[in-house]
Amino acid sequence: MPLNRSVESHHFEAMGTSCSVFAVDQSRTRLLEGEFWVRRLGARLTRFSADSELSKLNAAAGSWMYVSEELESMLQTSLNAFEMSGGLVNVAVLSSMVAIGYARPLTEGPLALALDDARPLPSLPEVLSVRSGAARLERGAGIDLGGIAKGWMADRLCTILGPNSLANLGGDLRASGPGPNGSGWPVGVANATLMLRDQGAATSSVRRRRWAKVHHIIDPRSGLPADSGLQEVSVVANTGYEAEVIAKTALLLGPDFAPAYCASHALAWWLSE
Amino acid sequence: MRSFAIKTGATLLTIGATMLSAVFVTSHLKNPSAPLQPPVLSGGQTASAGGVTIGPSVHSSDVQPVTSTYAS
Repeated sequence: MPLNRSVESHHFEAMGTSCSVFAVDQSRTRLLEGEFWVRRLGARLTRFSADSELSKLNAAAGSWMYVSEELESMLQTSLNAFEMSGGLVNVAVLSSMVAIGYARPLTEGPLALALDDARPLPSLPEVLSVRSGAARLERGAGIDLGGIAKGWMADRLCTILGPNSLANLGGDLRASGPGPNGSGWPVGVANATLMLRDQGAATSSVRRRRWAKVHHIIDPRSGLPADSGLQEVSVVANTGYEAEVIAKTALLLGPDFAPAYCASHALAWWLSE
Repeated sequence: MRSFAIKTGATLLTIGATMLSAVFVTSHLKNPSAPLQPPVLSGGQTASAGGVTIGPSVHSSDVQPVTSTYAS
C-alpha cells in the first residue's frame, strides 16, 4: 500500500499483552507519551496488584471510595456495557476468576480450580454504585475490568496520539482519522483487510488463555467459562469499547443468536465455531 | 360572582391547555420514514470478504494491514 504521508509506529508490551500505536505526521515522542499513559493507567487498573486503584476499590467493598476520573469513567462505561449487552458483559466477575484459578497473571501459572465455588454473577447495577469522584461496591462483589479496559483505553489513547492515529491494545483497537492515504487505516480482521476510519475493532475468543479445560471468558448466567458453541468472534463497531462489548456478547449468545445480534449492532463481524 | 369567574377561568385554562397540547402533538408526529434504531442491516446491504460479513460503512481492501484485531 503506498503511504502518502509519514506514519510513525511504536510497539511495546503492557498490561500483559502486546500493544501497537501508529500516527500520521506525529513525532515519536507523541507515541512514547501514549505508551507511558498506557503503562500508568494499566498499573492503576490491574487486579493483580494490591496497590492498584482497582484492587483498593475491590478491597473497600461495602463502603464508598474516592476514585480517579479515569476509573469513574470506566466504571460508568462498565454499567453501560451491562445494559448494552443485556447483562452478558458483567465486570463483577472477580469471584469467578478466582474460582477458575485466574487470580494472578497466567505467566506465573494458574491456581487450583474451585469451580464448585462459582455462582451466577450478580446484576452489576445492584452491586456497583458510581457518583462524581466516588464508587461503591457491595460486600462480596469484586470487579475485573478485562477487555472493557482495553477497548476504553484504545479509544482514549487515540485522542492522545492525534487526530489521525491507531491504537491497538492486545487486539482491541481504535482507528481515528483518514489513515495514511485518506481511505482509512488498513486493519486485519480474521482473513480480510478492512479500511477503518473513526471505528474500532475487537476479538473475543475462548481459544486463548486456556488451561486445565477452562478459559477466561465467563458466562455471567452460570459464573463458569462460557460454552456457547462459538469459539471466536471479531467485530468492527463505532468505537473500540463498543466492539469489545459486541464481540463478547455475540460470543456468549452462541451461533444461533449471534448472527442476528451482530447484524443489528456491528459494522462488520466474523464468527468462528 | 367571584366563584363563577374562578370556575370559568379554570375551564378556559383547561380547554386552552388541551388545545395547545393537541397542536403540539400533531406538529411533532413521529417520522414514519425514520431509520430503525439501532440500525438493522438487511441481507442486501452486506458484503463478504475472507469470511467476514461487512456492512455498508466498512470497506475491504487487498492492501497489507498495518495491524490486526486478535484475541489476547
